Parts: sequence; structure tokens; C-alpha cells
Amino acid sequence: MMLWRQFASEWRLYSRDRVAMFWTFAFPVLLLLGFGTIFKDDSGPKLAVVRVQSPVPTAIDGALDKALTDLQLKVLTLSKSEAETRWSKGETAAQLEPLGSGGGEGYRLRLNSYLMAQAGATAGLVNQAWLVAQARLNGAPEPNRIPVQVESPGHKRSTNYASFLLPGLLGLNLVSMGLFSVGMVNVSYREKGKFRRLAVTPLPKWIFLLGQVLHRLTVTVIQAAILLLVGRLAFGIQNQGSFLNLLFIMTLGTGCFMAFGFALSGFAETSEGYAAISNLVFFPLMFLSGVYFTLDSAPAWLQHTVAFLPLSPFLRALRAVFNDGAGLTGHGFGLLIVVGWALAAFALAVRRFRWA
Amino acid sequence: MSTPALCIRGLRKAFPKVLAVDGVDLEVARGEVFGLLGPNGAGKTTTLEIIEGLTTADAGEIEILGLTWGRQGQEIRSRIGVQLQSTSLFNKITPREALDLYGSYYPRRRNTQELLELVQLVEKADAYHITLSGGQMQRLALALALVNDPELVFLDEPTTGLDPQARRSLWDVVRRMKGEGRTVVLTTHYMDEAEALCDRLAIMDRGQVIATGTPASLIAELAIPSVVELTFEGTAPDPAPFAGRLGQPVERRADLWEIPTPDPKALLPRLLEAAEGAAIPFQQVHIRRATLEDVFLHRTGRSLRE
Ligand SMILES: Nc1ncnc2c1ncn2[C@@H]1O[C@H](COP(=O)(O)OP(=O)(O)O)[C@@H](O)[C@H]1O
Ligand SMILES: [Mg+2]
Repeated sequence: MMLWRQFASEWRLYSRDRVAMFWTFAFPVLLLLGFGTIFKDDSGPKLAVVRVQSPVPTAIDGALDKALTDLQLKVLTLSKSEAETRWSKGETAAQLEPLGSGGGEGYRLRLNSYLMAQAGATAGLVNQAWLVAQARLNGAPEPNRIPVQVESPGHKRSTNYASFLLPGLLGLNLVSMGLFSVGMVNVSYREKGKFRRLAVTPLPKWIFLLGQVLHRLTVTVIQAAILLLVGRLAFGIQNQGSFLNLLFIMTLGTGCFMAFGFALSGFAETSEGYAAISNLVFFPLMFLSGVYFTLDSAPAWLQHTVAFLPLSPFLRALRAVFNDGAGLTGHGFGLLIVVGWALAAFALAVRRFRWA
Repeated sequence: MSTPALCIRGLRKAFPKVLAVDGVDLEVARGEVFGLLGPNGAGKTTTLEIIEGLTTADAGEIEILGLTWGRQGQEIRSRIGVQLQSTSLFNKITPREALDLYGSYYPRRRNTQELLELVQLVEKADAYHITLSGGQMQRLALALALVNDPELVFLDEPTTGLDPQARRSLWDVVRRMKGEGRTVVLTTHYMDEAEALCDRLAIMDRGQVIATGTPASLIAELAIPSVVELTFEGTAPDPAPFAGRLGQPVERRADLWEIPTPDPKALLPRLLEAAEGAAIPFQQVHIRRATLEDVFLHRTGRSLRE
């Protein structure tokens, strides 16, 4: 009963802050619309190679260009000086240059050491194209290629990039709301003495905190619903799995990351202090979660530790359900990790919480 | 009813730079209006907030309604009412909602409408907190202190920032609380307020209680029931030569001289004669009863208002 009143009151006060509420709901939608439009017809960003024009094009140049296109590479043909300019700006991942005056004297492939993921993949395709082109010119049978298929990890079906983006947005939004907005609001309210009057009432801390977590939980569910609706109307993105599973995973994730925010807010005296602390947690969490790069080459102890962080199991389960229509079996352990973090963080939050 | 409403022994609290509370003992009987009178920085707020459980003391024992914080914190919270020196609520909560919400935290609660009427906030009942004037916020804070029908009420500077009329009506509310049998502990730096409202008071200065008693007994202890004042235009001159001539201490306060006396009737002719003889350019002569202000001045050598 007390919890319900606290929850209802949180919502009432929240709904009066129109501007904040508008941005909470509008921001992820704008992100989705932006990225979704950029990558609309793509199955993700395409691999591209810069082709430096031969001064005197030969038959082998023509054959190579044709093979490159056949292998689904985006070929950008530039003059030598244009290519150099682009290369020095760092925009080029891989650049194919003829040696000497024409293709007859061979080629060189320059790879950008900063963009090795793209450049490496491109290099593989360029070399295949080279073999294909030579075979065609010599009238020999084309080398047999191993067929490649681009697909989402759950093997359900490959969809466009926006549909890969959407669960990521849901997850990222949750994490940033928990770590940044919830925790920050809490610290700044405490700084302004808004909780002092509550401290002299018998209201238990855990009810106060749980009321806020539940409020935020409903906010994120609504946010997710809006995002799903926009995704569907604007890009035809469909949730491949069950909505109930999606709701379940979102609930666990929200509980976990909101509790994170509350727990961290117990360690900061001022808003500035909180900004530092939350970044300290946010960046390792993001970078070690395999969101940006895989940790296959990291030391074993780090990989073992990272396996117990909550963000990647949460995102993995979310993507599996949303993109691949998977069930929750197989994600039991991952979700257990999320629940464990949620409970630990909430307990810590209640322990560390101070009214003033 | 045998235990006192409040009993404090040896309370101490040091902040990094100041000893805010330095060995305070207090005892407040049930049904009493008890005042903590003292200048700004005397340690009144710190003392109250320790009692209310907001601040932890460095040393000392506190018993509230026969209960202690260590074991019966929740019961204490549900039986006391608190008006903090400044109450900061959420900007967009209305008085009615605030009273409903805070009332919901307690096992026993008073009717919201009744409280709004008591503090004359009916017209502003549905306005956002941020739009209330200082006095209205202060009255809402007072209503919040009564929301749980408390036995013991703490009011920290309840009339600071109020206009004279609002002060009077707040005094009426405090008297009603007493009439309803509640115990009230309030702080103030207005001696007239302490005198008008309090059954008993403790005068605080620099973290210590320097005197305790009823307003009348504190004044009577001075043994100088009256003060003769000579007022000047502008700043009063140095009274030392004149004091020698009169054979009696004379205190200077801004634009006047004060001469405490047990017998103004005997002093007055002598005073006027001496003033005439020394050609003192005074404007007027007043005789007034000694006040708590004089008690404070006498005990500390400083004025309450400084
Ligand atoms: N949180 C605090 N940190 C440091 N010093 C404080 C704090 N609160 C009060 N003080 C200091 O303690 C002394 C007593 O303050 P306070 O109890 O507010 O006095 P009063 O209420 O009588 O004006 C003052 O010198 C004040 O500056
Ligand atoms: Mg004070």
C-alpha cells in the first residue's frame, strides 16, 4: 500500500515535468529514425575498396574491376592524387594501387592500420577477385569459392541493420537511464535537501527506492513500446520472439541498471562526484561487454571476469528474442547473472542510501 | 505520563571547524511549550536535528517520549512531528498532495482539509509548491509537522521570514497545539516570541545552554527588573565618563544608552541631573521592564540580535 502510493506519487510528479518526459520518450525514437534511415536498405555497412586508376588501363584492369564488383565490394575509382588525399584524411580502409603504368606490372593493397576489421575483410575479397580475374583472362575455370551468407546469429533470418540496431538502442537507453539520469537526479535531489523531510518520517528507505525503481520500470516499458511501434511503422521491424519474453528481459535489465544507479549514487556527495563515478563504471561496462569489439584476444582472466558482467548477457538475450525469435532457454544462466547483479545492487543501494 | 517528553544529557557535536553543540542537557515536560532561544549559530538547529535523528551526535544520551533512537527509531518517527528550519519539497507537488502523501507514511494521520484550514492554506491547496510564497511554504511545513497527530512537535524557527500578522497567527496555532495536549519544542532568535509562547526556555550561546527557566524567572534572576534608556540622534557617545559621574554602569547600544536598575523611581532624578550637568545631548528617556534580551546581554555581554 505504502509502496503503491510512493509509486503513484512518483508518476504524478514525473508527468508534470513535461520537457523531461518528452525527451525521455523522444530521444530513443529520434536515434532510431536517424540510424534507421542512414542504413535503410543495407544489410549493415558495406565493405568498400578505393581503386586507384591505372594511367593506361589494360585488359587485366578491366577483368579485376569486374571481379571486384561481382564479389559485392563497393568500388570507388579515383585518380592517384584524389586517392592520396582521401587516404591521408584517414577515410580509406583499403586502397588498391597498380604498380607501374598499368595492371600488367601487378598491384599493391594498402590497408589502414586503424580500420583493420574492415580492411582485413576487404583484403580477403580483393585477393579472391584477383584470382577470379586471372582465371577469366586465361580462360581457365573460375576458382571455386566457398559460399558466404550474411545472417543474424540466431539463424532465424537476416534482417536489415535497423532491426539489429533496435534492441541495442533499447539496452543502451536502459543503461544510460540507470547510470546517468536516475543516479544523477538522486544525488542532486539529495544535494538540494529534498529528501531531508522524508528522513524524519517512518517511510522505509527500501520502499522509497523500490517505488522509484518501479516507476522507472514502467517508464522504460512504455519507452520500449513506443520504440517498437515506430520501428514497425517506419522500417517494418518486427519482434521475432514473444512479447512476454521481451517484457521479462526488459524488466530484469531495468531493475538491474536502475539499482546500479541508486547504488552508485550512495557513493557520491555531489553531482560532479557522481558524474565521475558513473563514467568510471559506464565505460568499462560498455567496452568490456563486447558491444564495440570482441575480447577474443584478451587475456583469459579478463574474459572470465567479463563473462560475469550484466550488460552482455542482457543484450544477448534481448537480441536473441527480438531478432531471432529465440525462447529464454539457453539464456537462463545469463539472465541469472543479471538478476544477481540487480539484487546485489539494490541491497547495496538500500545500505548506502542517505536522506541527507 | 511520568516520563518527560524529552530528556537530553551531555549532547555534543563537533563539525570540522566548529564545536556546534558543547554539552547540552535539557529536560522538557509533557504538555509544555519549550523554547531554545539564541542568536544565529548558537547550535539550536544542530541540537534539534540530533534529537530528530537527522544528525548523529558525537556524545550524549537522548530519550524521546521514553524511547531511544537505537532501538525504537521507527516508533519515535511516527510519534513526533518536525518542521525543519528549511523544508525543501518537490517543486511540482501541491500542498494537498504533500499532506496526503506524507500522511500516508504514518499509522495515524490527520485530515488534510482540516490541516489546510488550520494553517490557512485552503486557497493554495492545489498550487504547485514552487509557486508558494515563503510564508505559505513555512505554513505548509507547519501543517506537515502535524500530519501524524504527533505527541511531540519540533519547530525550528517557525516564524522566521513571516510578516507580523502571519507570526501572530502562527503563535495561535502553537497555543492550540498546547491546548490539545501536545508538547512543543521550538527554536527562535526573537525574544518577544520566546516570552509570548514559551512556558520554559533554554538560552543557548556558542553550543551551550547558559540559562534555563520560565521567562519570568529568568528575568527576575537578573535582579534588575527595569532599564532606563536615553536615546540619541545618531550613534550614542561613549558612556564611560558619564557612568563614572553617575556611579552606575551604563551600556551603549547603537543609538541609546541603557542603565539597568532595580529602582527606576530613585534613579530618574539623579540621572536627569547628572545628564544636565554633563550636557548630554540625549533626545528622550524611556523606562521599560527588563526583557530576555537583557538576560542574554547580561550573561554574554553581547546582544541577541547581532
Ligand atoms: N553541516 C554543517 N557543517 C559544518 N558546520 C555546521 C553544519 N551545520 C551547522 N554548522 C555550524 O554549527 C554552528 C551551529 O549552527 P546551527 O546549529 O545551525 O545554529 P543555529 O540554529 O542556532 O543558528 C554554526 O557555527 C554553524 O556554522
Ligand atoms: Mg538554526
